[in-house]
Amino acid sequence: MSIAVIILALAIGCYAVAVLEGWAVHGRLSLTRPATSALALLGREQILPRTSDRLFFEVGPVLLLVAGLLSVAVIPLAPGLIITDLAIGALFLNAALAYVLVALIMAGWGPNGAYGMVGGWRFLGQFIAYAMLIVMPITAVAMRAESLSTTQIVLSQAALWNIAYQPIGFVLFVIAAMGVAWLPPIDLPTGGGDLAGGVEAEYTGARLAVLRLARLVIIVALASATVTFYLGGWLGPWLPGWVWTALKTLAVAAGMLALGSRLPRLREAKYLELSWKLGITLALANIFLVGVIALVVPI
Amino acid sequence: MSLATALFLAFFGVAAIWFGIVVFRTHSMVRSAIALLFSQTAIGAMFLVMQAEFLGVLQIMMMATEMSVMAIFMVMFMMDPGGMGKMDMTHQKRLSLWAGGIGLVAALVVIWTAGWQGPAPDVPGADEQARLLGREILGRSMFIFESAALMILTAMIAATMVAIAPQEEDTQ
Repeated sequence: MSIAVIILALAIGCYAVAVLEGWAVHGRLSLTRPATSALALLGREQILPRTSDRLFFEVGPVLLLVAGLLSVAVIPLAPGLIITDLAIGALFLNAALAYVLVALIMAGWGPNGAYGMVGGWRFLGQFIAYAMLIVMPITAVAMRAESLSTTQIVLSQAALWNIAYQPIGFVLFVIAAMGVAWLPPIDLPTGGGDLAGGVEAEYTGARLAVLRLARLVIIVALASATVTFYLGGWLGPWLPGWVWTALKTLAVAAGMLALGSRLPRLREAKYLELSWKLGITLALANIFLVGVIALVVPI
Repeated sequence: MSLATALFLAFFGVAAIWFGIVVFRTHSMVRSAIALLFSQTAIGAMFLVMQAEFLGVLQIMMMATEMSVMAIFMVMFMMDPGGMGKMDMTHQKRLSLWAGGIGLVAALVVIWTAGWQGPAPDVPGADEQARLLGREILGRSMFIFESAALMILTAMIAATMVAIAPQEEDTQ
């Protein structure tokens, strides 16, 4: 039952994020654009590039979708409304998101096209930048909750949300999450006017639809992970828990999209430099601070 | 061990071996790296079947990133990364056969002579496993892990130094 509810919520969330992304990119709010775009994609001819690595070409988008869906499995929508409440949920989320990298490399390599290949390998570089900044803030979150279970992490924020308890971790996690979902300004693998679509360049029709759907699932997964780790998950007054989770998730997704549409694209080298020299230093400081606070002040 | 557990364990074990064979049967470097990744993922799935949640998920997570990094090095250094020239992945066949044979015999000797105790009657819960693992890593095994970390750091610095292009005055 809860699986069906969460899949339905995920579908609605993906559609809402698609509407918001359209708004952020085109500057005009249209509720029907994602539906018409999807229909157009499904109706279009599906071109198979010559001498492609057919297996990678077909598996890439599907693996991306599977990685996104698996990462949603450990996100609680409300108390008890979760697909699987693993004791190591936070680690499982990371493991699922690691396959975003594998899927994009496969999708970039598969079609035997220069733009796609550059886009796929570029994401590997992007991964080297964001990987530590996903894991280290989660470490601090798990330290406070004394558990890797996502449900326990939400419950640990009953007195004070983590956004106030560990603001440095929140900022780092959101920026890293934008890297995982290759949202602008860190959209290096697809890079609009730079790589002619990058990983998406050689995909058409239904395969491109799967690729784009998978990316929407990943955006929703990361927005809801941000809510679970930093914004108190389902906690909130008056409204039922699932409404709070949904509202907060949409707000985080809208925030990430709005931020991205106002910034110029980061260069790969700059992103790596910032992530390693500044980001990891701050993440280590965050872990240290949270450790000290957890020992001194019992909140 | 229940029948279902045994079946899943066997399935993932066979999958791990099969992907291991694919590593050498393909001509493409990238396919080879990804096949090795899925071989390791299958081993992670075996951990999960044996209820070692933390270790299984950690294995599945780490291998995805490590094998991807390995793939790009294979693409950079090999002359035929896509396998268009049907390059053979196997070489030094006589030596490999001997090494493989000796390895197999050694593994079989260990399997037959080790005093295996029966399956653990009660496995601690996943959160308890993570706690015990943390105590082990930060206690008795800390020295081993710290020295491994230091070695990896040294290797990283050395690799970076090798990769940096020589300055102009050095090349003259």
